[in-house]
Amino acid sequence: MNQHPARRVRVSAGPAAASGQAPTRGIALPGAPAQDADAVYVRALMRSQLRLALGAVAGFVVVTGMLTLIIALIPAIDEVVVVGLPLTWILHAFAFYPVIIFFALLYARGAARNERAFRALRDRG
Amino acid sequence: MNVALNVSGIALVTLATVLIGVYGLRISRTTGDFFVASRTVRPVWNASAISGEYLSAGTFLGLSGLVLLEGARGFWFPIGYAAGYLLVLVFVAAPLRRSGAYTIPDFVEARLESARARRVTSLAVLIIGWLYIVPQLHGAGITLVVVAGLPQWAGEVAIAVLIAGAVAAGGMRAITYVQAFQYWLKLFALLVPLFCIVFALTGGSHDVDVATIFPADAGPAGFDAYQTASLMLALLLGTMGLPHVLVRFYTSPTGVSARRTTVLVIVMVSAFYAVSSGMGLVARITAPDLAAPAAADTVALVLPSRIFPGLFGELLTALVAAGAFAAFLATSAGLIVSLAGVVSQDVFSGSVRSFRLSAVLCTAVPLVVALFTIPAGLGSSVGMVFVFAASTLSPIVLLGVWWRRLTARGAVAGMVTGGVACALSLVVHTAVGGVGQAAPFLAQPAAWTIPLAMAVTVIVSRTDAVGPPTRTDRYLARLHTPERA
Repeated sequence: MNQHPARRVRVSAGPAAASGQAPTRGIALPGAPAQDADAVYVRALMRSQLRLALGAVAGFVVVTGMLTLIIALIPAIDEVVVVGLPLTWILHAFAFYPVIIFFALLYARGAARNERAFRALRDRG
Repeated sequence: MNVALNVSGIALVTLATVLIGVYGLRISRTTGDFFVASRTVRPVWNASAISGEYLSAGTFLGLSGLVLLEGARGFWFPIGYAAGYLLVLVFVAAPLRRSGAYTIPDFVEARLESARARRVTSLAVLIIGWLYIVPQLHGAGITLVVVAGLPQWAGEVAIAVLIAGAVAAGGMRAITYVQAFQYWLKLFALLVPLFCIVFALTGGSHDVDVATIFPADAGPAGFDAYQTASLMLALLLGTMGLPHVLVRFYTSPTGVSARRTTVLVIVMVSAFYAVSSGMGLVARITAPDLAAPAAADTVALVLPSRIFPGLFGELLTALVAAGAFAAFLATSAGLIVSLAGVVSQDVFSGSVRSFRLSAVLCTAVPLVVALFTIPAGLGSSVGMVFVFAASTLSPIVLLGVWWRRLTARGAVAGMVTGGVACALSLVVHTAVGGVGQAAPFLAQPAAWTIPLAMAVTVIVSRTDAVGPPTRTDRYLARLHTPERA
């Protein structure tokens, strides 16, 4: 038995790991981000879905904002009275819901189309 | 007021709830059944159930009260609630369905692989849920005061016992059918009286002085730009942060059907809000004397018997009372299902028995709070819950679905910052009533607390040395990849 055993040394990866290069040189490790064709398609699908979502929300905000300004700022509409109610109140109470439904339908159709395109791409590849 | 009629109307709703619950009990046997109805609920049923759960006391009684009290400003609330589902649809409906998680904390834990982030999320879910149940209990109390002459606490206790029992007995499968039924009940309970009242008004010689009943300064033109924008931001984003809204998407069989369900929900809640807004307009014409803070929320209950003295009016009142009860039952039951799901998985073993125990516990807390607080306006108290949800959970859910660099540390920092900022400003606002220039920013904090929570989440995530979990890409791919047809 040696009285002074050599000290334990922590062994760690060299500078290759720090520079962000995979130490396995192209061999996928479990849990490593997969860079196959599928992953590329999924990223593209995510981007197009996000673009569609932001577009639908932006469209909704613009139309809603315009409707609000029309109701609030054009005094002529306030003078109009329909079945005992001022037109501005009627518009405020009921006119926004069709806008919401319109953009919901628009988005749902677009999202289904994006997914069909993704499926076609994946099944062909 | 015919007490016997009103009470039998409420009793019928209760009986129907219990019967559908019992019917559901026979087909729900496994733990999966209890939590998410085994993901086999059809879009129309699911959409009715989501709508039934979403339409709470805040809109059934509170909306017409708000329009009566504050004028056209009240219309922004239902518009925001409906548009909130548009954001749920475009950003989270399909991805969350595909995540395969039961509750929001489940989603956060799976996405960020962190038990700490999960615990913080669970805490936020509990606070939001409890805050939301309190106005429902208050609404039940108010209703029983008006229609049956019972003390305020009686309605609160009665509905709490009923819901805890129903949820513990049936789980979500039973609740799905109960709520689908309650959506249609609520719609007709307002539509039929509204139709009759409008018919009576157009037939009779009712002199409507447009300038006094619909004054321009309470009209659409008299809105405050900051307050309205801030409120709308909170309502739009708050919906996706409500615990009982997200749990519903897990019951859709696929991501595509989750989307279809959401479109149906938007149509259904819009129909209800249009009817409810109509009731508010009618209330301004026929009951301007009720425009006082406490009385306004009862206007939908009082209106029918004012227009139609005698049995017909009493029958209509009983119908409205039944619908109002359906509103409290549905929303509170949905909330308690999701809260009990969270508590039973986080605190207990996640078994059916612990779910039942959690259901009882999760009802007891808001009941105690409700018994010791005085009901404020139902519409605005529900609005506050949306502000809180939008400042805590919504940014995390949104970024979790769309941003790959979100980390557990960033999520926790964002939730805590948003929650604390929101709670502080609301507490200061209630205690002091506004501090000079800062008053509107404390009364409607959403416009700065939501961006603050988002910014903190993003900054902390980007500077987080640990970085996002290595499996992030794979998990995101799962969220966004359509199911094989």
